[in-house]
Amino acid sequence: MALDRKLAVVDLTTGNIEIKPIPLDVRKKFLGGRGLAAYLLYKYVKPGCDPMGPENAVIFSAGPLGGTLASAGSRTDVMCKNPLTGLLGSGNMGGFFAPELRWAGFDHILVKGKADKPVYIWVHDGEVEIKDGKNVWGKTVTEAQWAVREELGDPDIKSAVCGPAAEKGVKYGNVMTGIKNANGRGGGGSVMGSKNLKMVAARGTMDIKIAHPMEALEFDKKYIEMITGAKVNQTMGTLGTPFIWGAANAWGGVRANNFQLNQLLYSDDIEPESLDEISNQTVGKYHMAACFGCQVHCRAKYRIPDRPLSQKLGMVGKYDEGPEYTSQNAFCGEPGCTKAETLLICNHLVNQYGVDNLEIGSLISWAMELYEKGILTSKDTGGIDLRFGNDEALIEMIHHICNRDTWLGDVLAEGGLAAAEKIGRDSLKYMIHVKGMNHLGSDERATPGLALNAAMASRGSDHLRSRPAIDLYHLPEQVLRRIYGSPVPYDGPLSPDQREYAGKAWMVFWQETCFMGVDCLGTCKYHTTFLGATLPNFEDWSKVLYYNTGLEMTPREMWDVAERCNLIERLFNIREGMKKDDPLKGEMLVDRYFDEPCRLGAPDVVGATLDRVKFEKMRAEFYQHKGCDEDGIPTPQTLSRLGLDTLDAEQPRL
Amino acid sequence: MIDEKSTAESLGSTRTYGQVRCMNPSCTSRITPQPGQTMAKCPKCGSEWRIFWVKAGLPRVRGPVWETSLKMANAKWDTLTDKKEEK
Repeated sequence: MALDRKLAVVDLTTGNIEIKPIPLDVRKKFLGGRGLAAYLLYKYVKPGCDPMGPENAVIFSAGPLGGTLASAGSRTDVMCKNPLTGLLGSGNMGGFFAPELRWAGFDHILVKGKADKPVYIWVHDGEVEIKDGKNVWGKTVTEAQWAVREELGDPDIKSAVCGPAAEKGVKYGNVMTGIKNANGRGGGGSVMGSKNLKMVAARGTMDIKIAHPMEALEFDKKYIEMITGAKVNQTMGTLGTPFIWGAANAWGGVRANNFQLNQLLYSDDIEPESLDEISNQTVGKYHMAACFGCQVHCRAKYRIPDRPLSQKLGMVGKYDEGPEYTSQNAFCGEPGCTKAETLLICNHLVNQYGVDNLEIGSLISWAMELYEKGILTSKDTGGIDLRFGNDEALIEMIHHICNRDTWLGDVLAEGGLAAAEKIGRDSLKYMIHVKGMNHLGSDERATPGLALNAAMASRGSDHLRSRPAIDLYHLPEQVLRRIYGSPVPYDGPLSPDQREYAGKAWMVFWQETCFMGVDCLGTCKYHTTFLGATLPNFEDWSKVLYYNTGLEMTPREMWDVAERCNLIERLFNIREGMKKDDPLKGEMLVDRYFDEPCRLGAPDVVGATLDRVKFEKMRAEFYQHKGCDEDGIPTPQTLSRLGLDTLDAEQPRL
Repeated sequence: MIDEKSTAESLGSTRTYGQVRCMNPSCTSRITPQPGQTMAKCPKCGSEWRIFWVKAGLPRVRGPVWETSLKMANAKWDTLTDKKEEK
């Protein structure tokens, strides 16, 4: 059955491996994927532990729809205590690893302890082994994956791997799979590196039995038509996710020159249409790829084009995939670079080093502002002229950070807060972060709802935890009411105006619950109410889950699961020191959002700042929706309602 | 149960084709470019947008016409800074 996959707890210190079934009552409470991972993290990680020490755990998770024919059951969640923030570390990637893990008999692999030498974990048809990692350690992301296939003699092995950056202790190392699927933002790769764990390799032939196969086929077809019929997904299937950056840059909604501007002017060369043309020229007409079971095909294939900079750096013709919109943020908008070859080279480098593109791009852009303000000098940069728009400096800094081979590279490898402490002066003032994680590349000064999402995201500044992106579409209020009024009734304010504050707290809360729901199922966020208003959510999930797995849950029960799991993430953060107004670990945006007006963009965006009083009121409303007190702490009534009142006291349920 | 339409599915019938919205937040007027047209001016606020056709009937805003966008942004900025100076 689709629900008979197991949990393996692997202790790298002792070599002990426990395999445990996942009881049905646990499924009904946490479902799987990110939700169940949050429970496991809370129960298995010792409070206050060193994130780079053996007491931290790294948990690889698939959801119950993984490997089924329901759309895009490809997602792997990786959770840990994040070395960058000291709070929740959580990322999610597509590709083909999660289905393979499920076919090998497992939904969750929890790794704790630390190996005394490099190892990898080999998962195959119900068995788990710890193997010598000498043939894979030190290799790039793709080299390591090809090497393990060769070592084990199976070209169909799929791996979740950390790269050389994580091996060197860079604090924002990704878990990666395939060419470019990245489990970013969570530091899972760094935790793997700290444990001497290079990868989890999986291969399975254990079929997933579909509970109601005929009905599942019929419903999956309809479900897929909902997904492929959405205009947003047709656009994404043509231009990939870079269309998101293009749309946001059009009106002035991206970070540029760190945070000094909100639009990258004359950026035609890195617009999605230009990138698509490069893919056409270097790969051919059919250059859009997909993750397992997905019909959208949002991932472009490309080779680095023959241009002067790529020639000079010996990068012409290197193959990669993407770039995602996050790379346009990190390597174009924020550092002020407008050349496509720079974007494609940087994208390739971070994929091979296995490092978070948003974090490294933001940190370099922050350093560029510090350099232009004289806080960093040429001596600090090792002679690099770290001006905005200096493409070669950007590329050089990626190497120096990932290899930790210069003073500044080593400092930035530790992350922004640690770097600000070492750099000193008023450097922290210029860093755009939440909870110590650098902000993604969007600029929310003109969009309060999106700003609230960034401040409240459980893993630090982020858009994939609760962003009400459809707030930008000016949908009629009656449409918003239909979406945001189900499965939990809501009759408060809802405004189609993205500049308003009223009602946005509910939209963020609803999206937070929706995104947790999709992460529990193990499917893709582009297949739910994120970028499109007509994409499936709770009502549709209830059916797709039942037909494929046999698990009966109403839309409201699925909402409760997601709400519960979000609350566990909040409880984890509170346990690890998160406080509402803490400038380093709190749920607040940096002062620049409130003090510095937008300079560019559409006429109504120019001059926009956030209103601090209204923002704090919106945050208070968000806490109320979540059932928290004014400090963001869940009330006893909320804990009881969601069955979390015994969370601290109870023995782990599995 | 399979045939019942969910909220998300029923909203699919509200999709519009052949149009883009002006991306100036207070404007958001619908603009209907001619098929194949690569530039469109908002009849309401005057913003100018470059248009890309994902496929027939599905245009998208590729970006602003830079010169127009910059000119309008500078004019707005000047208004705001003038007001500040007056205060």
